[in-house]
Amino acid sequence: VYQVFESVAKKYDVMNDSMTLGIHRVWKDILMHKMNPSPGTLLLDVAGGTGDIAFRFINYVRSARERQLQRKLRHSQNLSWQEIAESYQEENFKPLGDSQVVVCDINKEMLKVGKQKAQHLGYSEGLSWVLGNAEELPFDDDKFDVYTIAFGIRNVTRIDLALQEAYRVLKPGGRFLCLEFSHVSNPLLSRLYDVYSFQVIPVLGEVIAGDWKSYQYLVESIRRFPPQEELKAMIEDAGFFKVDYQNLNLGIVAIHSGFKL
Amino acid sequence: RCQLSRPQRALQASAVLRRVSDEQKEPFSSSSQQQFDSHPTSHQPEQEPQGPRPSYTGQGGQESEDYESEEQLQHRILTAALEFVPEHGWTAEAIAEGAKTLGLSVAAAGMFHSDGSELILHFVSQCNTKLSELLEQEQKLVQLGEAEKKPTDQFLRDAVKARLRMLIPYIEKWPQALSILLLPHNIPSSLNLLTSMIDEIWHYAGDQSTDFNWYTRRAVLTGIYNTTELVMMQDSSPDFEDTWRFLENRVADAMNMSDRANQVQSTGEAVVQGLMGAAVTVSNAETSGVVR
Repeated sequence: VYQVFESVAKKYDVMNDSMTLGIHRVWKDILMHKMNPSPGTLLLDVAGGTGDIAFRFINYVRSARERQLQRKLRHSQNLSWQEIAESYQEENFKPLGDSQVVVCDINKEMLKVGKQKAQHLGYSEGLSWVLGNAEELPFDDDKFDVYTIAFGIRNVTRIDLALQEAYRVLKPGGRFLCLEFSHVSNPLLSRLYDVYSFQVIPVLGEVIAGDWKSYQYLVESIRRFPPQEELKAMIEDAGFFKVDYQNLNLGIVAIHSGFKL
Repeated sequence: RCQLSRPQRALQASAVLRRVSDEQKEPFSSSSQQQFDSHPTSHQPEQEPQGPRPSYTGQGGQESEDYESEEQLQHRILTAALEFVPEHGWTAEAIAEGAKTLGLSVAAAGMFHSDGSELILHFVSQCNTKLSELLEQEQKLVQLGEAEKKPTDQFLRDAVKARLRMLIPYIEKWPQALSILLLPHNIPSSLNLLTSMIDEIWHYAGDQSTDFNWYTRRAVLTGIYNTTELVMMQDSSPDFEDTWRFLENRVADAMNMSDRANQVQSTGEAVVQGLMGAAVTVSNAETSGVVR
């Protein structure tokens, strides 16, 4: 698995766009809307190497924070000039409202690409990059508000261990969110999907990234991954409550959500 | 998957909540738990829109102190969130703040719909429960002979007034709540809560009059309640005097309607007169810029 992503890291984003015809951006946006994070949220994004989820999180929280500040100013109509000036000072301003995201990935190359992207796009504060294994996270218990793993859990050898680790590092009340390829129940779409996966994707892999084998592996790992209900049961086994899933595109992708209560 | 094995697992949050309440020595959390323990069934109806959920209460009759169901925890979060409504409105943010006061992560607000519907429905349901308790107490006093039985019009006036007074702390954000309750996916639940509240009031009012049939009685009181609520939204008089006067007039109209129905030969005519009065009132309330 490590080698697959080592070779794939640089071309990861390009391949994602071409494979999913750009729809993966929409999927990730939907994930962010579902999360609806409020300013002050601490997010752990596992297997999030190139930072897609992290950047979306920062954007979301930034605009939520702006709205929050606007509302606060509208409320406090009777402030003195000094109070208004103070509220605009840097320490109180907090454009992200104390929100933070920690991006954790097992692969150094993916993290490197992510850091470069962050610099290139101008994301500086609220981001941390940590090297770690989803089955054994280098964090303390009860730390994070939200744990996300987007298109990463199918690459984990022991999914149950990853789920247990997710449970451990989440605060009480914290949320587990998993965005992953899943099973299509509709027979017609299923056949089209199969044809696309096995005929088109490895070819794209060869043409764009020069790597047929990795993308063959990718497509096969999707087929081997447990379907929606089974994953839901596994998440419940790890101790999560109110576990639910939402199918996107008729099951090509599913978002699973659970709470540590 | 065997759902029965789940109740054995105590919710972690309950342990956290106990720790929090121990530290703060708050009587609040334990008393609210008692309140919700005794009202599990009354909360079931409006929870339907959220989808199926396992029912934990009554499992083997064993409810140890640190065991609570998801629903109870959700109720606790929503109750805690009410405190933040004047500041944040009926939003997911208020719910997030509520969760924080209980020692939970702000992400727990994700358990609820992001438009704040559940918070509003929870509040309405709570108000209705408080009203029922109030009416029950009053009835007991009457039965014990410690108080006089009120005439119907006064009873209705007092009941509607008591119920509307519960909105006063949240009055600024209440128009927002009303509009959310009118959203298509909320209408079944909000309508359900409204009609059961009206039924409760009539139940305690006792039905001596045989002039109205059951539907008319329900419709009339619902009309009175809704219009008074709208008037209250834009009332700026001290302690809402104007609203209570409006209420008095509407209840008097309703009583007169029944008298007139007795006197006049054709009851159809009387009903039409009553409806005209109601229509004029509602249009007056609307044109005076009620909904902001």
